[in-house]
Amino acid sequence: MSNEHTVKSYEEELRYLIDSVIKMGSLTESQLVDSMDAVIKVDKDSIDKIIKSDDEINKFRSKIDTQIMTLLVKRAPMAIDLRETISSLKISQDLERIGDLSKSNAKKVKPLPLDLPEELLGNLKRLGDLVIKQLNDVLDSYVNKNYDKAKEVWEKDEQVDDLTYIAMESVIDFLSKDKKNLDFSTHLIFATKNLERAGDHITNIAESICYLIKGEYLKGSRPKGKVIQQ
Amino acid sequence: MNNVKIKSKNLNVYYGEKQALFDVNLDLNEKEVTALIGPSGCGKSTFIRCINRMNDVIDICKVSGNIEIDGVEINDKNLDVVSLRERVGMVFQKPNPFPKSIYDNISYGPKIHGKGETKSELDEIVENSLKKAALWEEVKDRLDEPGTGLSGGQQQRLCIARAISVNPEVILMDEPCSALDPIATAKIEELIDELKKTYTIVIVTHSMAQAVRVSQKTGFFHLGKLIEVGKTEKIFKNPDNKMTQDYITGRFG
Repeated sequence: MSNEHTVKSYEEELRYLIDSVIKMGSLTESQLVDSMDAVIKVDKDSIDKIIKSDDEINKFRSKIDTQIMTLLVKRAPMAIDLRETISSLKISQDLERIGDLSKSNAKKVKPLPLDLPEELLGNLKRLGDLVIKQLNDVLDSYVNKNYDKAKEVWEKDEQVDDLTYIAMESVIDFLSKDKKNLDFSTHLIFATKNLERAGDHITNIAESICYLIKGEYLKGSRPKGKVIQQ
Repeated sequence: MNNVKIKSKNLNVYYGEKQALFDVNLDLNEKEVTALIGPSGCGKSTFIRCINRMNDVIDICKVSGNIEIDGVEINDKNLDVVSLRERVGMVFQKPNPFPKSIYDNISYGPKIHGKGETKSELDEIVENSLKKAALWEEVKDRLDEPGTGLSGGQQQRLCIARAISVNPEVILMDEPCSALDPIATAKIEELIDELKKTYTIVIVTHSMAQAVRVSQKTGFFHLGKLIEVGKTEKIFKNPDNKMTQDYITGRFG
């Protein structure tokens, strides 16, 4: 926004809303990093902390909802302000879902053995690192209102699909070697799928940011990578 | 999109030395509501007053450029202004019923325009006009009472009924709800929605929400210039012009 509202309190309310989304994004990113770390290191001690951090994220979501309701009632926002308000609602929903997926992944650490093969973890880590980078980039594009960067994130989800495919294949390969691996392999399959779904929520956020900036939705369908057969 | 009913081309208006409108080019579609928004003194009321040549009554006012209704130039000196105003009705900010009965308020226009020669014809016009203005049920048993005795919202609907009694093609509304409470406003907006099926409507309003609610097309004026015009939804969600955005989001001045 290049210039400010005549009504200062309106300006403050919008700024406060944007700040809340940024803070919620930052918390969600930390939680995703921590849960990924816990999975790769099979760190069972950090599970509770990660689960608890999800409460914080959910609280932010409620707070943002309230802020949006107040803005809609008090200000009847128009044009860029309306798009800012509506995209805050959508972005906070996607962030909350990403938080839920990180929490779900943290819970999957418990049954994992400490001696998982390095190749398996390596593929999962590459996927996790990309999803974290995608989240970081999309939040950066939100803070700086950078349309090109948001669009880049949206397009890059194809790579998330590809890495999901590779990670999934290595889990299935591991599982096929020994039926005893079945129990925790299932958890790893779900953890991989969760990362892919987090990637999808990140593309939703990218779409919301593009709409916020230009007032029109991204045209065409998003490039897709290899798809796992359900 | 509907056909263009009214077309202004390079319209300039001067009040003495002061220029009030600068090269306004604006198409208004038939059987649609066009909302004109902009800060006070931006020229939106001046513009609509050109459509029925109300500016003719101001001595120092000069108009250049063109305004066509159905392709016919209305600034033509030979044009009969009385019949123009029969085709283009107007409703003002403050309800201004004549100090006459409700019946006479409606029948006055048809009488002077030679419509409704018999009492029963006039009765029919009065009833139909009041029905179209959604006022009939409220006043049908007291048509001989003074129009000025009605509530503000009813008076404004009476003025709308008066405007439509001569069967116009266009209705100009200059802030028709600014003196009304939210319920009376809602009734007028509901009425506008109904009237647009029959008439081309141009409404000047300071309420953005009202413009969004009632119009299909919106024009934003500033300092006598038409800054942007487009579909209402586009103007209020994603205007092209920064000045429009600043105005509708309250970042002006």
